[in-house]
Amino acid sequence: MNNLIEASGVVKRFDSHTALDGVDLVIPRGTIYGLLGPNGAGKTTLIRIINQITFPDSGTVLLNGHPLRPEDVMRVGYLPEERGLYKKMKVIDHIVYLGRLKGMTSRDATVEGMKWLRRMNLEEWAGKKIETLSKGMAQKVQFIGTVVHRPPLMIFDEPFSGFDPVNAEQLKHEILELNREGATILFSTHNMSSVEEVCDEISLINHSKVVLSGNVTDVRRRFRKHLFKVRVAEPVVAPMPELFSIDSINPDRMGGCVVMMRLASGVEMRDVIAALNPHYTLLGFEELLPSMNEIFIETVTGK
Amino acid sequence: MNRTRLWLVLRREYLSIVAKKSFIITTILVPILIVALGLGSGFMMILNEAEGDRVAVIDQSGKYASVLEDTEEYIFETPGDYTTDNMRQKFESGEEEAGGQPYYAIVVIPSSVDSTLQVSVYSSSPTRMSLREEIERQLSRAVTDQRVASYNIPELDRIISDSQAEVTVRTSTWSDSGETVTSDGLMSAIGMGLAFLTYIFVLTYGAMIMSSVVEDKVNRIVEVIVSSCKPVELMLGKIVGVALVGLTQFAIWGLLIGIGVMVVGSLGVVESMTSPAMSAVDPAAIGAAAEMGADNDLAEIVQAVIGVKWAMLIGMFLIYFIGGYLLYASLFAAFGSAVDQQSDANQFMTPIMMIIVFSLIIGQSCMVNPDGMLGVICSMIPFTSPIVMMVRLPYDVPAWQMLVSVGLLYGCAALLTWLSARIYRRGILMYGHKSTVSDLWRWLK
Repeated sequence: MNNLIEASGVVKRFDSHTALDGVDLVIPRGTIYGLLGPNGAGKTTLIRIINQITFPDSGTVLLNGHPLRPEDVMRVGYLPEERGLYKKMKVIDHIVYLGRLKGMTSRDATVEGMKWLRRMNLEEWAGKKIETLSKGMAQKVQFIGTVVHRPPLMIFDEPFSGFDPVNAEQLKHEILELNREGATILFSTHNMSSVEEVCDEISLINHSKVVLSGNVTDVRRRFRKHLFKVRVAEPVVAPMPELFSIDSINPDRMGGCVVMMRLASGVEMRDVIAALNPHYTLLGFEELLPSMNEIFIETVTGK
Repeated sequence: MNRTRLWLVLRREYLSIVAKKSFIITTILVPILIVALGLGSGFMMILNEAEGDRVAVIDQSGKYASVLEDTEEYIFETPGDYTTDNMRQKFESGEEEAGGQPYYAIVVIPSSVDSTLQVSVYSSSPTRMSLREEIERQLSRAVTDQRVASYNIPELDRIISDSQAEVTVRTSTWSDSGETVTSDGLMSAIGMGLAFLTYIFVLTYGAMIMSSVVEDKVNRIVEVIVSSCKPVELMLGKIVGVALVGLTQFAIWGLLIGIGVMVVGSLGVVESMTSPAMSAVDPAAIGAAAEMGADNDLAEIVQAVIGVKWAMLIGMFLIYFIGGYLLYASLFAAFGSAVDQQSDANQFMTPIMMIIVFSLIIGQSCMVNPDGMLGVICSMIPFTSPIVMMVRLPYDVPAWQMLVSVGLLYGCAALLTWLSARIYRRGILMYGHKSTVSDLWRWLK
């Protein structure tokens, strides 16, 4: 059983609009999975279905190969986009409360909670009330509340929204660390740079449908524009229309130049190299894959 | 439904309210306030007694000035050197009266008293109604007495006092438990008191639930919680948690009242009241005590208090109170889930308030006629029965009515809780959307 989550044909309608329209999603165990899409595309609805907060009108969601059962919520940690804390509770009490709701014993929750507070440098705040915490500290407590019961699946909805760069970096570090320890991570975001850095796999949801999914590198390759960066020792390169067109030529400091070229259809880089080699001194070449951000915008706007 | 999670939620809800300063303060302050109000009003009465308003009497007939007796409110004086004219001057110029407080009013009794005695009252500002009533009462009795005396009938005084009869009605009930003295005044007071308690507590605790639900939304914690426990568990946890808060409050008040009674009792203030109650087991002793003529009225009251079926009353009060609470609590929870902030809740509060106030009005009319059609119907309808039945309860409601009413109340409370849970689970995840009643209706489906 290599897939932790297998959703197929998930449909969810609200009164007048369809939030999810036949969505399929496969999350391999141990991956960091990005759920991308513009606001209102249906990401949060899908996440809520996996969390059993709402239920699909049709379609199935399998966890570990079996349909979702009520007790499965114990095996999931969820940090919603709209997240908060009970302001009047003490930090450790709050963490213990969330841990116990997920089935931990009071003792385990306290021990694990304290361990996490130490890890996040919040140890001396354990006995303080939430309302005395700064925003960044409260966000860390929310994070601890999500992971304290060590769920095999952790779901973060827009985890980096509202975080300052330092805390965002620490959060990213912790997520990667948890993944290394074996947890499968699903997170939804429209912060594309974090996707390239962190995610193994993605699905892009737009207008209630999955429009794109797969391994991040595969997806980028799929959207390749056959754009290459070629560096030669000569100051200029003449175009060869049957092989490539030139987007730009920029001189470098050593008298050579960097050429941005777009290959003609059906042409491989080795053909270009073969054609250039007799006339130029090739110093380097590299394919420019589109960024996830470009893919996102291209897919969503249809350009 | 997971019992562990329900227990966790209700424990958190309970502790979060009980630990609040406002809870501790109101729980302790309310009884103190009630006692202070009682003492305060007593004190005010003493103050009033001491500070009666001075009223000058100018008696042109020379017969009636001495008749007017001072009361708590008014002190009647006959300043010899005053005439209507110089009093009027003083009032109009606002001149200070020598020797203390100025006169509140002047009463002028004319010299000739024919068939009617036309008394005039003058003052610098409109006088209180009680002054007119007091003068009318005192003077009319004096004039009547004088007229009667003027007939010169021998022994007339004795004949009149003999012929005057004071009628008192003593109400009792006959039932299988024998004859019991009851007091309809006391019954109404108890009924209305219980109804009012239900009214206050249903509203107070209902509002507590509503604010707890709204707070979860405002804090943005609710989605975190429902990813661990079912919305219905969260809702029930809140309802039961607040109910336990209420019972805690009752228990504390019961304790405070108990301590208060013991303290006052040891001071001997209520000794005369408690001692007949102590011998309640033996009705003959009460009869004897009453015949001893110690204090007839007091004995009657004590007998009536003992005649009330307290166990039944308190038991039924709790049954109706809990039923009514559950009925309204789930409504408050559902409405609370539909709003984003406390201030938006008012549109939903108003209809609930109207139903509850309406019940109170029906309850009041039931005091006059507890077995009237309206009362019977409204003590069956779940939304009004917790209040209306309280008023009817002291007057032996037929058992079948009680059964039907309690059955309907709890059945309806269960149904409403189920419906509210459906609204609640949708409502708590709705943000930035001003929900209307028709939205709630759609969420039900």
